[in-house]
Amino acid sequence: MKRTRLAAGALCVAMAGALTLTACSGDSGDDGTKTLTFMFRGGPDEKAAYEAAIDRYTEATGVEVEMIVTDADQYATKLQAAVAGNNVPDVFYIEQATLQSYVSSGILMDITDEVAESGVDLDNIWQYGVDSYRFDGTVQGTPDGALYGLPKDVGPFSFGYNKTMLEEAGIELPDPDEPLTWEEFVEICKTLTTDTDGDGAVDQWGTGLNVQWNLQSMVWSNGGDWTNADHTQVTVDTPEFAEALQKFADLTNVDQVTPSASDAATLDTYQRWMAGEIGFFPVGPWDVSVYNDLDFEYDLIPWPTVGDAGSATWLGSLGIGVSAMTEHPQEAVNLVTYLSADAEAQQTLVDANIQVPNLIDVAEEWAAAEDAEPANRQEFLDIAQDYGRAMPAAFTYGAEWYDELWTNIQPVLDGEQTAEDYLAETQPKMQALLDESLANAEMAAGG
Amino acid sequence: MTEVAADTAPPTAPRASAARPTLRDRRARNRLHRVEHRWALAFVAPPVLGFLLFTLYPVGFAVYASLTSWNGLGPMRFVGLENYVTLLGDEYFRLSMFNTFFYMIGIPVGLVLALLLAIALNRKIPGRTAFRTIYYIPVISSLAAIAIVWQFAYNGDFGLVNQVLSWFGIQGPDWLQNTATVKPAIILMAVWKGLGYSMLLYLAAIQSVPASLYEAASLDGANAFQKLRSITLPMVRPVTFFLVVTNIIAGAQIFTEINIMTPTGGPEMSSASIVWYIVRKAFRYQQMGYATAMSIVLGILVFVITLIQFRLNRRNSFSIE
Repeated sequence: MKRTRLAAGALCVAMAGALTLTACSGDSGDDGTKTLTFMFRGGPDEKAAYEAAIDRYTEATGVEVEMIVTDADQYATKLQAAVAGNNVPDVFYIEQATLQSYVSSGILMDITDEVAESGVDLDNIWQYGVDSYRFDGTVQGTPDGALYGLPKDVGPFSFGYNKTMLEEAGIELPDPDEPLTWEEFVEICKTLTTDTDGDGAVDQWGTGLNVQWNLQSMVWSNGGDWTNADHTQVTVDTPEFAEALQKFADLTNVDQVTPSASDAATLDTYQRWMAGEIGFFPVGPWDVSVYNDLDFEYDLIPWPTVGDAGSATWLGSLGIGVSAMTEHPQEAVNLVTYLSADAEAQQTLVDANIQVPNLIDVAEEWAAAEDAEPANRQEFLDIAQDYGRAMPAAFTYGAEWYDELWTNIQPVLDGEQTAEDYLAETQPKMQALLDESLANAEMAAGG
Repeated sequence: MTEVAADTAPPTAPRASAARPTLRDRRARNRLHRVEHRWALAFVAPPVLGFLLFTLYPVGFAVYASLTSWNGLGPMRFVGLENYVTLLGDEYFRLSMFNTFFYMIGIPVGLVLALLLAIALNRKIPGRTAFRTIYYIPVISSLAAIAIVWQFAYNGDFGLVNQVLSWFGIQGPDWLQNTATVKPAIILMAVWKGLGYSMLLYLAAIQSVPASLYEAASLDGANAFQKLRSITLPMVRPVTFFLVVTNIIAGAQIFTEINIMTPTGGPEMSSASIVWYIVRKAFRYQQMGYATAMSIVLGILVFVITLIQFRLNRRNSFSIE
C-alpha cells in the first residue's frame, strides 16, 4: 500500500512539475541571448510599425524581444491577469490612470537613474508626456516625482473641419489661429445642416460630437472643470460646467445641427464624417492614417470656445514602463528609451501615421513638412506644447468617480432633463466615489 | 475495518460478516490487484489533480479574496465581510442582477421556438438538411463576431432592423441606445444564437421516441396536438431539463454580447449584466476583492437555483420500460 501511494505521489509531483514548467517561459535562450517580453496594444498599423522598430533594436543590441499584442479593449485585463499570475512582461504599456496603483503595488520599476544615465535628452520629449509618468508617492504628473516610465506618445485631441464641404457651401474657412466663438460655430453648423439631395431628409450635418470625449473642451473653455486643482473636490455642479453641458445637449435638441440624439454615443457620426456628411469633427493623431485616405480635404483648427477661458482640449498619453521583477533591467530600460526617444524608431512610427513624433525637434520638422496632411499639423504640436490638458481622471487613483458622470447622462442629451438638475444630482455620487478612491490610494501607499 | 470491528458491532446491526471476505482473502486479492490499483490511481490522478489545482484552489482563493480589499496587483488586506455589506447597498449591483435575470426571459421563448422548429424539421420537408445547417450556423460562429454584426443591424439610422421596419412605415428606435429596447434587443439576439443548439438536441430526442407510441395513439384517435402534449413533450422532458439548467447557468454568465454591443453598460446601466459589472469593477476600477465577492454571490445563486431545479425534476422524472 505504501509503495502504491509513493508511486502515485511521484506521478502527481511529476505531473505538477510538468504543468508548472509549461506555464513558465524561458528568459534566456540556450545560446545566452537575452529575451525581453514586450506587451502592448494596438491595431495592425501599430503592430507593423513596432515590429519594424523592434527588429532594428534586436539587430543593434542582440537582445531578442518577444511581443505580446492585444487589442485595446483587452489590454488592461490581460496585463492584470499576467501580473496576478506572476508573469509580468519585462516592458509594457502603462496608462496614466493606472500608474499609481501599479507603482504602489510594486509592479513598476523606478527608472529615474537608468534613464538619466542612458543619456536621453528628456528636454526634447514633450514635458507633459514625461511628467505624466512621474509620481512622488502622493501626486502624479509633477516634475519632481520619480520616473516610472517614458511616454510612448502624447495624444493631442484636435478639431478638424471638412474643407471641401465648407468651400462648396461658400463659407469662409475658419482661422487656424483664432478659435471660433460658440455662436459663430453654431451659425456655420446651421448653414451646413441641409438636405443636399432634395429627398426631404437631412443628410448633411454641421457636427456630430460624443459627450464622453468632447465635453471636456467645452467645459474647460467655459472656465469649468471636473475637480479642484488637487483632485479632492468634484466641481461638476458649477454654473460654468452646467452651461457647457447644456450647450452640448442643445446642439442636438435646440440647434439641431447633429444627427439624432442617440447617435452621439455610437460610432456612426465617425462613419458619417468619413463619408463626408459632417462639417466639423475631432481629429486625433491616431486618426490621421485613416482620414488622409478620405475623399475630401480636411484641416485642423482650435476647438471652438464656449466661454472666454480660451480654446481647450485634452492631451492623452500612453507610457511604456519596466517591470520591477525583470531579470534584465538594463536591457528593459534600453528598450523603453529606444521606443520612446530613438530618432530612427520614432521615424518608423511616425511614417506609419499613427502618432505625433515624441521628440520635439523631429515633430517640428514633421509639422513644417511641405506636403503635410492635414496642412495645419502644427495644431497638434500647439496642443502638446501649450494648451493641452490631462483628462480629468488621468492623475487620480482610478476612474470610477469620473465614469459616474456618463452613466445616467442620456436624459440630458435627449433634452428630458436640464444639465443643471442632472449635475446637482450626480455631484454627490461622484464625490463619494472620489473620496473612496482617495482612501484606497492612501491605503495602497501605506501598505 | 476489520473482522474484529464487525464482531463488536451492536447485535441489532445486521451481521453480515459471514458474507464478507476474510482478511486473508482481501490480502490475496490486494496482492493480485495491486498492479491494477496502481494503474488505476495513475489514471485517476490527473483529473483529481486538475480539480484540486484548477477548481478547488481557485475557489478557495476566491472565497478568501472576497474578504479582502485588493486591487488585483498588490498585497491583500483582510476586511472581513465588508465587501458583502457594501454590495447590499450597491445600486448598480442590484440593477445588473435584475438585468441578468431579465435576460432569462429569452430561455423559455428559445426553448418553445426550438421545439417547434425541431418538430418541423423532423418531417420530410424538402431541403430539411439545408435548414438544419442554416439554423446551426449561428451556434458555431464566434459570439464576438455575431455581436458586432447585430450591433450594426440594431443601429438606429442605417441598421438592417430599422430599414426593414421602415418598409412598413415604422420608425424604429435606436435599439441599443434606448433604455426600453436594449434588453429585448439583446434577448432577441441571444435567442437567435442559441436556437440551433436547442433544436438539434430536441431533434435527437424526438427521433428517439418509439414510433409505436404514436401508432398506438393514432389507433386511439389522438390528434396531432394530443400526440404532442401527451407523447412528445413528456418524452423530451429530459432534454428540456438539461437545456433549462444549462441555459440558466450560461444566462447568469452573459457577458460578451453586452460588452461588445453596449461597452458602457448601455444608457443608465440598462444593459449591464452582473458579469459585465464584475469585470468592470475588477479590471477597470481595480476592485478585485469587491468583484470577487460579487462573483461568490452569483456562484451561490446559480448553485441554489440549479439545486432547486434538480429537486423539482426529481418529482417529474419517469421511465419507460
